[in-house]
Amino acid sequence: MTALVRAELLKLRTVKLPLWLLVTALALVLLGVAATVLTAGLEGAPLRRDDPQLMARAVANASGGNVVVLILGIMVLTQEFRFGTATPSFLVTPKRGRVLVAKLIAIALVGAVFAIISAAVAVVAGALLIPFKDGVVNYDEQVLQVLLGAILVMVLYGPIGIAVGALIRNQIAAVVGALAFTFLAEQLLIALLPSWGKWTPGGASSAVLQLGDLATTRGDLLPVWGGALLLVAYAVVLSAIAARLTLRRDLT
Amino acid sequence: MTTTLVFDALTKRFGDTAAVEGLTATVHPGRVTGFLGPNGAGKTTTLRMLLGLVRPTSGTATFDGRRYDELSAPVREVGTLLEATGFHPGRSARNHLRILSTAAGLPPGRPDQVLELVGLTPEARRKVGDYSLGMRQRLGLAAALLGDPPVLVLDEPANGLDPQGIRWLRSFLRSLAAEGRTVLVSSHVLPEIEQTADDVLVVAKGRLVRSGTLAELQAEGRGGTTVRTPDGERLAQALADAGLVAHGLGSDELVVQASPAAVGELAARHGIVLHRLAETAGGLEDVFLSLTGQVQA
Ligand SMILES: Nc1ncnc2c1ncn2[C@@H]1O[C@H](COP(=O)(O)OP(=O)(O)OP(=O)(O)O)[C@@H](O)[C@H]1O
Ligand SMILES: [Mg+2]
Repeated sequence: MTALVRAELLKLRTVKLPLWLLVTALALVLLGVAATVLTAGLEGAPLRRDDPQLMARAVANASGGNVVVLILGIMVLTQEFRFGTATPSFLVTPKRGRVLVAKLIAIALVGAVFAIISAAVAVVAGALLIPFKDGVVNYDEQVLQVLLGAILVMVLYGPIGIAVGALIRNQIAAVVGALAFTFLAEQLLIALLPSWGKWTPGGASSAVLQLGDLATTRGDLLPVWGGALLLVAYAVVLSAIAARLTLRRDLT
Repeated sequence: MTTTLVFDALTKRFGDTAAVEGLTATVHPGRVTGFLGPNGAGKTTTLRMLLGLVRPTSGTATFDGRRYDELSAPVREVGTLLEATGFHPGRSARNHLRILSTAAGLPPGRPDQVLELVGLTPEARRKVGDYSLGMRQRLGLAAALLGDPPVLVLDEPANGLDPQGIRWLRSFLRSLAAEGRTVLVSSHVLPEIEQTADDVLVVAKGRLVRSGTLAELQAEGRGGTTVRTPDGERLAQALADAGLVAHGLGSDELVVQASPAAVGELAARHGIVLHRLAETAGGLEDVFLSLTGQVQA
């Protein structure tokens, strides 16, 4: 299995896509931090400019690239079918489930790298921007918890992307579907029906961060471990379904 | 470590289309086996079933009794080149091979060795998206050779190769078979197979219509004699009088459906000068067309 994971990592290192997506993720992190900090204290904003939670709120944006990692996961899988590299991959490893597992592990590792860089960027950006707004930079326990939560979310979103890609196989359908789900369906559900919304991947990541959009309705969030387990469950269950249904299809 | 391939009542239906129907055949080590059939005959589908990429509707295809997915180290046991094998266009040939080699646990030097073998070393670091068809075909061959396997399964390997490439491939396949390897090559380019194969499997409409050695099949064809003479008209007349079928190839050359001995003796009786008298081994095409035509009719 280590050989297969190394091969999957090599696949990711020998194309440009992951680099571009990393840049995109970091841009989202920066935008998120800037939006959080610069709107603090404005009328109607959830945070005061001297809010002790400001730094924690700012660094929560380290998970801003979670959708990007999700997309990377989807692309990693669907490109194998789009470019036909699934054929050589399955010729080397005819037990297709093993390829899927190697991809799940590899994307989690890549997600961790994305996450750590995102976390560093979020901390630096927060620390630079908050004083600029005369706010307070508090390196408290909550900042650490939020950072760890953000890293966990990033690590767990990639495997979900792999599973979604394996289920749908068509790249455009999978990417568009995932974007529509995370930015529309899920957001609506969280806003309108929080008791259902907390069971979505978005609700689960808010639970892991204990800060996101649901922070105001904290009572509706799962506990941290519950959110993390739910994300793992999404990846595992969707992968298992894909392994059963779509991955076994004929490659003609 | 030789391997025998066995197809046993292999069948694949795509909906109503019977792509492969009850195919039973054996492919022996130490020989090049040509897998022949017209377009859509089911060659690619058969090979993909052999390699575990397509699930048979029924029947089996095995390597010394093991299905492809039961092989412990498939890349070391079977080298494959398939039609439309994919490459990521943004990846270099070398990286493509490094990925396969890493996944298969092969020594790190293997990609460069096989690139050298197929003559791609100067282009190894270029994006595959910029490759010509023939270069991709060479890369596919390099991938097939990575594990130095005792079995090679190649689907239309000569596709896109230039004449030097084809000649190289031919002698390469012969040398692999001479080393005791099992070489199964699909093609619909008959002259290619005639120069390379020892054994032939002919499929049409998903069914095996003939198997045997190349020599056997060629002999079944209306084998003939090519004869050159400065006196073409008289020879043609003499042949016609003797009831032999002849076709003219230009004014002074004829192809006769008879042995060289029969043609030579006839010419001698009529006192006709011959400049050339040679057996033609063009029988495979005849056999192929009649075999595959029979099924269509
Ligand atoms: N995925 C598929 N779905 C439906 N029919 C298919 C599929 N793949 C192949 N076929 C059909 O199966 C038959 C055999 O196709 P196959 O590709 O095996 O032929 P082939 O001998 O390799 O032909 P060629 O010489 O053109 O490569 C054809 O009738 C083809 O249309
Ligand atoms: Mg074919």
